[in-house]
Amino acid sequence: MRIGIDVGGTHTDAVLVDGTRIVASCKELTSADVLSGVKAALHNLQEQVGILPPVDAVMLGTTQFTNAVVERRELAEVAAIRIGLPSGRGLPPGTGWPEDIREALGEGAYALPGGFLYDGRPLAPEDNAETERCIADIAAKGLANIAISSAFSPANAEPELRLAERILEAIPEARITLSHQVGRLGLLERENAAMLNASLKPFAVRVVEAFEGALQEFGITSPLFISQNDGTLMDAKFVRDFPALTFSSGPTNSLRGAARLTGIDDAIVVDIGGTTSDIGVLRGGFPRESNRAVDVGGVRTNFRMPDIMAIGLGGGSIVSEDGRTIGPQSVGHRLVTEALVFGGSTLTATDIVVAAGMADVGDASKVAQLAEVTVTNALATMRAMLEDNIRLMKPDKQPLPVVLVGGGAILAPKDLSGASQLLSPENSGVANAIGASIALVGGEAEIFADFRKEAREVALERAKDQARGVAVSAGGAQGTIRVTEIEETPIPYMDNGVTRIRVKVVGDLASLSTLEVQA
Amino acid sequence: MTNQITLDMLDDIAAGAAFLATGGGGDPYLACLCAKEGLKAYGPATVIAPDALADDAFVIAIGGVGAPTTSLELLPSVDEAARVVEAYAEHVGRRPDALVSFEIGGANSLIPMVAAAALDIPLVDGDGMGRALPEATMMTYAIAGIAPTPAVGLDYAGNVERFDVPDVQAYEPVIRRFAMERGGMAVSAEFGMSGAELKACIVPETVSLSQRLGAYLRSGEGNAEDRELSLAKLFEGSIYGQLELIASGLVTDYTSTVVGGYDVGQAVIESSVAGELPMKVSVKNEYLSVRQGEALIACLPDLITIVDFETGWPINAERLRFGMRVGIFRIGSPEHYTSPEGLACLKDLIAVAQS
Repeated sequence: MRIGIDVGGTHTDAVLVDGTRIVASCKELTSADVLSGVKAALHNLQEQVGILPPVDAVMLGTTQFTNAVVERRELAEVAAIRIGLPSGRGLPPGTGWPEDIREALGEGAYALPGGFLYDGRPLAPEDNAETERCIADIAAKGLANIAISSAFSPANAEPELRLAERILEAIPEARITLSHQVGRLGLLERENAAMLNASLKPFAVRVVEAFEGALQEFGITSPLFISQNDGTLMDAKFVRDFPALTFSSGPTNSLRGAARLTGIDDAIVVDIGGTTSDIGVLRGGFPRESNRAVDVGGVRTNFRMPDIMAIGLGGGSIVSEDGRTIGPQSVGHRLVTEALVFGGSTLTATDIVVAAGMADVGDASKVAQLAEVTVTNALATMRAMLEDNIRLMKPDKQPLPVVLVGGGAILAPKDLSGASQLLSPENSGVANAIGASIALVGGEAEIFADFRKEAREVALERAKDQARGVAVSAGGAQGTIRVTEIEETPIPYMDNGVTRIRVKVVGDLASLSTLEVQA
Repeated sequence: MTNQITLDMLDDIAAGAAFLATGGGGDPYLACLCAKEGLKAYGPATVIAPDALADDAFVIAIGGVGAPTTSLELLPSVDEAARVVEAYAEHVGRRPDALVSFEIGGANSLIPMVAAAALDIPLVDGDGMGRALPEATMMTYAIAGIAPTPAVGLDYAGNVERFDVPDVQAYEPVIRRFAMERGGMAVSAEFGMSGAELKACIVPETVSLSQRLGAYLRSGEGNAEDRELSLAKLFEGSIYGQLELIASGLVTDYTSTVVGGYDVGQAVIESSVAGELPMKVSVKNEYLSVRQGEALIACLPDLITIVDFETGWPINAERLRFGMRVGIFRIGSPEHYTSPEGLACLKDLIAVAQS
């Protein structure tokens, strides 16, 4: 048995699952402090089953770190050091960031000579005195959260590692993020990712402690895992070091949960919440990834994120008097007091579907006097919003199954153009939590290949095999492992043919007993 | 006609220039960041129509040269465009009256703007390619017989090298070797010419076209298919031929290596139409051709622009990855490259594209 929890912006969902069977599930409001919402959810699960059985693991998906960046809160000051001068003059770390988040991270931006060129030669000699001055300045300013980037560190991370070592000698309490650990080629994006990660670390420590404390209150001593963007899990210690890797795990979990609930691997998934509908695409059971450089709170990064289109249609979306305009304003979690059916005075999307007899929520008599034309118009607007955006997200003209999940799924009509079938599975309201509870195992391999001596196809296969092996030994079920990422970086160390190949695979966990091994 | 390029226009120009870059031209994001910092520091840049240029004006072409992949890690510097113009002026003993871009495609559309703003020298609305192409020999300036040198190259560390190799066929490998030896990217100033000479060979008004193109890409919504008609209209009446969405599909393979100073590679795109053969896109810094089975469905001198299908947003060759869903646009080439001289200059590249 395991517990899956998803902390969203509006709701905190939890499920208790036994294999693929859902034993209990619940939906609570997310509290301002997050924790009481989680406790309420655990309490609710406990009520449903009497006594919580011993669980093997708790899997948690949380938007807290993304939200912290988007809302510019809980962010620690960061010293960002780039090793790459004399290139990039006039473009210090933090260039191009929105002003408010740049301010939140402080003005600690440093540039030092060094790094590497594409051909493996040093970009510039390092300057010992300059390095000393930089470290002394960071120490004097009392900055402990540090991001280090260097030119071509995905090919040669030596300068980042060496500088980190020197900083730790001078500032033993420093928490350092190295860019090559969080990103790929693309110095600026990788540096941005490292800066965000460094800025979130103190918050991550508090979040993990709080969650572990909450679990202890319920007598749960099993390991805590947190979802990453790609749907795989990381253990609590890893989250403290790499909180940024949780970005966008919410949509990933909701898509993975939809696949689990329906058994369908290729579909459009519409997650209708209180404020937005998030439309994503499942391909082979995994979220389709975004092609674009991903902005997190206005900061350009190169994280791999699911391709999600968010539209302003949710259960709490405010409807105009004539019904022709819906959202993006929403009453959000105040739905239960402000919507007409709950005795409030705001016309929301939920009121419309109740008035139309499509859903039984609150007191239907409160919307009985709504003008029929308002209801008709609003239903047409909602249909158009969903159909237009589903069409934009669809891989091609072929109709695809559309899976509706989330608490607001009642808003969707019984049929949608472009949908080969419209599914609203049981427990779809807690798809995110179910997605979190699915244990996915990742595997990664990195090899160096000389394409003049080994055909590229052969080398790729070798890397894939190696990654699959890692996933299997981590507990992955043989037949479920699939390649999710292939990255080739030419490393021509004066020699024009060596390429670094990095392959990432994920698969389902073969059995729960292996979870501990993975931890 | 005189216009100003202000800070708020740079995002539009960068987006339009990326669309015209046919996959090459370097990452416009970095050049745009650089241009923004430049215009913040120096104020707006002045742009003049080619016709507004005096026949006896002294114009030089500037831009970056090298392998775009390297610029993902070797960042540009805000001051380098102005420094290379100054180094050129010092070398020839004359300050240019106007600057013009090597190529509108990608980063090279933006680099000259920083120099124009910093040195208060106007930039001519137009360029020497109307797109991006991999070699100096392929600029319309070279096709018109203008000598590339005297020329000046500046590396990332500020080292200057002067070149006196007036035969463009001989100059091209020399400037490229300079870039490759200095980290893979350098900036250069070359093709000193008169206003009359420039007017005879420039691909005109591409700066203003890329601004309109970018403004549309950035404001509108819709996927590649939805946007086809509006994009086609933007090219109507321009120096370009027709725009058409020729295919869409999924990138199933992409490989590239730095060979002799170029990103050389091939992408395989599985067609979104069931049962159709996969497409092979040949890349040498830019997208050269699209082949489906035996059929060549687009080929140089056509412009081939690969976009993110969902947004219609152009994707540079170095950002193309396994798993991306893309649309492929073909745009008719300006007559500069469909003329016998133009085709002759692209002969070798067309042969690569067709092979």
